[in-house]
Amino acid sequence: MGLIAREVERHGIPTVALSVLPAATANTPAPRNVVVRFRLGQVLGEPGAVVQQRRVLWDALGAFAVITRPGGVIELPYRWKRSTYVDPLARGTGVP
Amino acid sequence: MTSLRRAWHQLLSSWYTRAPWWAALYARWGLAPVGAAVLPWAAPRVPFHHGRIALVTAAGVHPRSAPPFDMENPRGDASFREIPGDVAASQLMITHDYYDHAAADRDVNTVFPLERLRELAPLGVRVAPRHFGFMGHVLDAERERLTRETAPEVARRLVADGATHAVFTPG
Repeated sequence: MGLIAREVERHGIPTVALSVLPAATANTPAPRNVVVRFRLGQVLGEPGAVVQQRRVLWDALGAFAVITRPGGVIELPYRWKRSTYVDPLARGTGVP
Repeated sequence: MTSLRRAWHQLLSSWYTRAPWWAALYARWGLAPVGAAVLPWAAPRVPFHHGRIALVTAAGVHPRSAPPFDMENPRGDASFREIPGDVAASQLMITHDYYDHAAADRDVNTVFPLERLRELAPLGVRVAPRHFGFMGHVLDAERERLTRETAPEVARRLVADGATHAVFTPG
């Protein structure tokens, strides 16, 4: 996935790549990387967990503003069901 | 024979999901590293919340009407499938033997959050007209085809569509 992201970035479009495997990210980093400590095959969250998925997506988009050097990595703080997910649509402005 | 191989891959993928440390070991030692020294960089031209966002996934997502990815080639399949921005989630499916996609079969947004992206419209986010599905298992000659042919082609289509940002999701 990092290889495709690099090609898209080469064409002038900024990219961010989500990952559930920090080791894979370290091996083949994309220009911007967001690690989520979730299960394989569920990087956005649980089936039907709309707010959780929306929150993770919104935070991944936020990486465009946060990561400022090639290969930068941020890890989202969420721990599956133990975390509270604030809906970006319910935050007033919602825009960081 | 073919179906036996596919069944074996599906069994392994189920195991990865239940023992993610094994997948982490594979990621650390089994994947050919590609260093960060050559990473390209494109600065965002507009803030993401005013952008036209495209999704690109390696989770094997494709429209039901499109041909499935090739599960017979042990080197994988470097091709891609176009996913229209207005497609109904029920019209999407997954072909990918190398991870357990039982959860994503129930809700494709767990790996391809197109519906979640549409819901961000009140915050200013726009959805690109086309998104792209790959099957993340590509080795050797297929990996070469990915870097030489299919990834550049997807990049050109994203540029043609005026996408301002692209979000990549794994399986």
